[in-house]
Amino acid sequence: MPQIPTNWSGIFTDSERKQSYLRRVRELDKNIGSFLSFNLDLTGSETTEKGFLGGLPIAVKDNIAVSDQPLTCGSRILENLVSPYTATAVQRLEDAGAVVVGKTNLDEFGMGSSNENSALGTTVNPWDYNRVPGGSSGGSAAAVAAGLVPLALGSDTGGSVRQPANFCGVYGLKPTYGSVSRFGLTAYASSLEVIGTLTRDIDLMETAFEVMSGIDEYDQSSVGSEVSGVPDSDASRVVMLSVDNNMLDNPVARAYKETGEALRAEGYSVSEISLPTLDLVVPAYYTIATAEASANLARFNGIRYGYAPDFSENPSDLMKKARHEGFGREVKLRILLGTYVLRSGFQDQYYGRAQKIRTLIKNELASVFSTADLLLMPVFPTQAFSKGDSEMDDYKQRIADVFTCLANLSGLPALSLPVGVENGLPTGVQFMAPSFGEKRLFKVARNLQDRFPLQIPPNYLDIGGLV
Amino acid sequence: MTQVQDEWSITAELARLELDENEALILAREAERMRELFLTMSRADVEKLETTAHALEMNNRIRPDSVVSFNNVESLIEASPEQEDNFFLIPNVL
Repeated sequence: MPQIPTNWSGIFTDSERKQSYLRRVRELDKNIGSFLSFNLDLTGSETTEKGFLGGLPIAVKDNIAVSDQPLTCGSRILENLVSPYTATAVQRLEDAGAVVVGKTNLDEFGMGSSNENSALGTTVNPWDYNRVPGGSSGGSAAAVAAGLVPLALGSDTGGSVRQPANFCGVYGLKPTYGSVSRFGLTAYASSLEVIGTLTRDIDLMETAFEVMSGIDEYDQSSVGSEVSGVPDSDASRVVMLSVDNNMLDNPVARAYKETGEALRAEGYSVSEISLPTLDLVVPAYYTIATAEASANLARFNGIRYGYAPDFSENPSDLMKKARHEGFGREVKLRILLGTYVLRSGFQDQYYGRAQKIRTLIKNELASVFSTADLLLMPVFPTQAFSKGDSEMDDYKQRIADVFTCLANLSGLPALSLPVGVENGLPTGVQFMAPSFGEKRLFKVARNLQDRFPLQIPPNYLDIGGLV
Repeated sequence: MTQVQDEWSITAELARLELDENEALILAREAERMRELFLTMSRADVEKLETTAHALEMNNRIRPDSVVSFNNVESLIEASPEQEDNFFLIPNVL
């Protein structure tokens, strides 16, 4: 088991260190807004620091349940909800000694790529306060990049861990579907999403993944140790997705090319491939994701959770008003689209066809991995874009998910890693592996560490080392 | 109301979404743009393909058919907007 960073120890046993940590987080996060809630006065935390993650402060995206802590999903409709239970992935980290210190901001219900769709706060990029941190796990990425916590959990439905990790210059892991229990993750698109991790430290990422993963009786789609991972020892054949020059901004294209060169220098064989189905990825992804969202978000009806209007004539009126006043525009759009593609008469044309295209994409990737060990791809066509950027409106952000949502449609694991800084902003790439090939991903990230050392935003350090 | 807006208005009703006039116009426009994107899927030849509903091919895992109690029922009820005794409270149905 890899070692975890030791400079975070003592926060929960040394009261002076605890106060100092609290002060520094509040001071630094004032500018970033990564946390929706932050609380060090947790029952029992005074006596923790047992277990091999003993006393490690972690942040959790606010769509993942932690008992007695808020579970807002960045939405007005759940603004005052307190979770009555803890997600399995979080529970396993807590059992190993980690302590949840706060819940991080996100695009409402995980729907967005900028964090601008949060109804409850603004999060900015620690590298440049005028830019977005990415999304939807933008709060988790910003908190890790700024060194407020060494590890944060996010959820990845179409790139929501990897894209913000890429924008903020940290590592982001989207595990194989089923390897980490989704119990306690507020459902958005159940067949696509998975809980992932964001860190500055690849060893810690591997440790956290090993702790969280495994079968869970509360998640029927979780997979246990009977499914062995693919071997990592001979993972030397990399295929690089051939990307048209006009698809990527120059700094992203340069970083992508340099990564290919670095892999060759490290002894990997690198060849290029194209994916004929690439143009179909975004329409198929959004058809399936919105269909599942429309079903999953039906539960928010003003009766069982959170917000309800002051007055309503009848139950139907209650539902409509609660959803009208409680949901933001992007959420309403996706529910609307999902309802449409599932409507009688339209289902075969949209949802049924998207599911068949999903088969096509899975088959194509299976063919790729029959002769390759890793697939190298860009993460997002641009670096972190400006807040309210009219050049990157909501529609263009959705189209730009093309490189990330491939892993969600196929269920395959993918890891985004930072490979440099240009114009004051991080650039990065992602690797994808066959199912349960996470070890390959950690290994290639380690092999590139010396060539692309992780950089830290100016004025931010590991707080754990400062106090 | 145009035919397109009418279609999205029907969909909103099915989704139990109440939309004000301006919001309905904006969402219909955005939804229509996405629907046009979805239509690009029609050029794929998928006739002989099976559907994929799930990333992993797996069988149902079933558990014993026995009652399992959640140990924090009170907090589930308390999380609702309105409750009375052990019940969720809703407006009169009739």
